[in-house]
Amino acid sequence: MPIYVKLFGDLRKKIDPHISGTDSVRLEINAPEVDRISDLLKKLNINENEVTHIFVNGRYAGLKKKIQNGETVALFPRNMALLYKWYFTREEDE
Amino acid sequence: MPKRILRVNMTNLEAKFEDLPEDYAALGGRGMTSTIVAKEVLPTCNPLGIHNKLVLAPGIVTGTKAPSSGRISVGGKSPLTGGIKEANAGTPFSQMLARLRIGAIIVEGKHAGDDYYLLKLTNEGTEFINANKWSNKGLYGVYKDLRKEFGDKVGICGVGIAAELLGGNSGVCFSDPEGLPSRYSGRGGMGAVMASKGLKFIIVNDTGAPGVEIANEEIFSQGIKKLRDALTSHDVTKPGGALNSYGTSVLVNIINEAGGLPQRNFSAGQDDRSEKVSGEAKAEEIKKRGGQRPHFCNPGCIIQCSEVWCKPGGKDPVGVLEYESVWALGPNSGIYNLDDIGELNRACNDLGLDTIEAGDTIAVAMEGGLIEFGDGKGALKLMDEIRRKTPTGKILANGTEITGKVLGVTRIPTVKGQSLPAYDPRAIKGIGVTYATTPMGADHTAGYCIAPEIMGVGGQVDPLSPEKAEVSRNLQLATAAVDATGYCLFIAFAVLDIPEGLQGVVESLNGVLGTNLTVDDVAPIGRSIIDTELEFNKKAGFTPIHDRLPEFFLEEKLPPHNTVFDVPDSDLDSVF
Repeated sequence: MPIYVKLFGDLRKKIDPHISGTDSVRLEINAPEVDRISDLLKKLNINENEVTHIFVNGRYAGLKKKIQNGETVALFPRNMALLYKWYFTREEDE
Repeated sequence: MPKRILRVNMTNLEAKFEDLPEDYAALGGRGMTSTIVAKEVLPTCNPLGIHNKLVLAPGIVTGTKAPSSGRISVGGKSPLTGGIKEANAGTPFSQMLARLRIGAIIVEGKHAGDDYYLLKLTNEGTEFINANKWSNKGLYGVYKDLRKEFGDKVGICGVGIAAELLGGNSGVCFSDPEGLPSRYSGRGGMGAVMASKGLKFIIVNDTGAPGVEIANEEIFSQGIKKLRDALTSHDVTKPGGALNSYGTSVLVNIINEAGGLPQRNFSAGQDDRSEKVSGEAKAEEIKKRGGQRPHFCNPGCIIQCSEVWCKPGGKDPVGVLEYESVWALGPNSGIYNLDDIGELNRACNDLGLDTIEAGDTIAVAMEGGLIEFGDGKGALKLMDEIRRKTPTGKILANGTEITGKVLGVTRIPTVKGQSLPAYDPRAIKGIGVTYATTPMGADHTAGYCIAPEIMGVGGQVDPLSPEKAEVSRNLQLATAAVDATGYCLFIAFAVLDIPEGLQGVVESLNGVLGTNLTVDDVAPIGRSIIDTELEFNKKAGFTPIHDRLPEFFLEEKLPPHNTVFDVPDSDLDSVF
C-alpha cells in the first residue's frame, strides 16, 4: 500500500501550476525511504518552511512524525496558517 | 466634550445625552454592555418586554488610528438563550459612534402600537423618523434607500423581517464601508430585542465629530506601532497571510482534515466534498466573478479578512461569506455548492438572520424531513417562508432548538438554546468545553483568542483528550478582555506569538485612557466581565446543568475519529 498524500492551497501548484481552486490533489507515494514527514517533504520537493499544518490520519502532526504505508498525510502551505492551535498539539516521534 | 451615554426611550420617543458615570470611564465594548445590562436589566424579565434594554458600545480604542479596531458590542438579555448576550461586529458605524464620543447607546422602553422608528444621530443631535416605509422589506434594498435618503457617508444599524417576527434568530445588522447589510452582531436574537421596542434603524453621521479623546498621544502612538508591526509580520494576519488571502474560510479544508467539520447536522466530521466550498475555491471564484478579495469591514484594518462575494459579472454583491456561514449553510446542510451558499447567505443578510443559527436551523429542518439534505433550492424556499411571514417561517425564524422540537428532531445541536458553530466538540474537545460553559450559549468566539502560554498555562493540548477546563477558562477570560478593547479578536493570532504586539495593545489602551495597565491586568479585566455575566445568568435561573452539551454528543461517535464528547461534568463545573 502507498502513502496517501493530500495537498492544499498553493502546494497543489507544485504538481500543476495552472490548477483551479476547486480541484483537489491526491497523490500516492510508494517510497521505502520515506520514514517521517520530513522525508516525505523531500520526496515531494517541498521545503519544510513552505508547510504549516500537517495532519496524519486527521491528527495534527509535526515534521518528525513517523508515517507508514496506508496512512493519509495532509499538507497545508504557509499562507494557510490559521488554526486555533492552542486546541491542538503536534504529534511527533523521537 | 467628555464621553457620553445616549439614552433612547422608545416609550415616549426621547433621546437624551447623559454624562458617562465615572466608574464606566475605563469600560468599552463587551465590558460596557455587560456592566450596563447587569446594572439596569432585570435578569428575570421577558427579553422582548418593556424591562429589557439593548445596549450598543464601541470598544476603548475604536474610532482611533489603532489598526483593526472598528468593533461594536451589542448587549442585552437574549430571547434565544434567556441569558446575558454580547454580540460583536466590525463596522464603520462603531467608529462613528466613538468619534461622536458616545460610550454607549442604551435603548429602553417600548413604543405602543405597530409603528417602527429610525433614530438619526449626528454631531448636532438626534431625531426620530417614522420608519414604516422601510419595514417589511429586504435589507439590501432598504440600506440602498437609506443611503440615498441620508447620504452615503452614514453608518447604518438595522434589523430585518426576522426581527419584525420577534424571532430568536434575528441579528443586528451593520453596514460595511460600501453600505452593504453584511456586518452582523448576529447571535442571540438581539435584532428581535431592538424591533420589540419599535426601533428599526439607527443612522449615524460623524461629520464634525470631535474624535476620540486620547490622554497620552505618545504612549498611544508607540503602542499602535508595535501592534501594527506584529500584525504585518505574522503569518496569520499579515498582507498575503492566511486571513488576508482566503478569509476565515481558509479553515474549511483544515478543520475538515482534522475530522471536526460537522456534516449533515453533526452526523460526521469529514466529507471530501467540503473542498468544493473551501477558502481556496472561493477566493478563485471571487476573482473570476469580479468580486473583491481582500476587503476590510472597517477602515484602518490591516488584516482585511473580509471580501465581497457576488454573482458572475460582479452582480448582486453579498458581502463576506465567513467560514462559519459557509459551513452552516453548506456542509452542515449537505450543500457543497458555493452558488447556493452565496444565495443563502444573501437571504440571511436580507432578512436579518444570523447565518450560524440559520444554517443549523436548515439542517435540523432537513433532518426533520421538511426538505432533503443537500437541497440548496429547497433551503432558499425555507428562507422565503420567513420573508412571507408564514407559520413555517415564524418557526424557522426562532432558530434551531424550536424548529427541531416542532419537527420531532432529537439531535438538536444547541447549548442554552443557541446553536453550535463549525467545530464538532467530539473532535476538538477544548472548544466543546467553551460551548458548554460560556455565559453566551454555544459560541466559538467566546474562547478562541489568546493562547494558554500567554496566560501562563503553558503548552498545547491534545484536541482529542478531555483535560480542557483550564485552557477554556483562560481563553474565555482573554477573549472577554479583547472584546472590551474594540480590537478584532484576530489580532490575538499575532500578539500571542509576538510579545511586543501584546505590549503594544496594552500601551494603546493606556494611551487612550491615561491608565497604567500592564499585560498582567488583561486576565483580571476579562475575569470581571465574565463574573458580571455569570452573576446575571445565575439570577436569570441558570445552574450548572445548563453548562452541558446535548446528549447525542456524549452518545453518538463522530466519524472519522469515532470519538464522543467525554469531558466529565466535574471538569465543566470547574471552569468557573
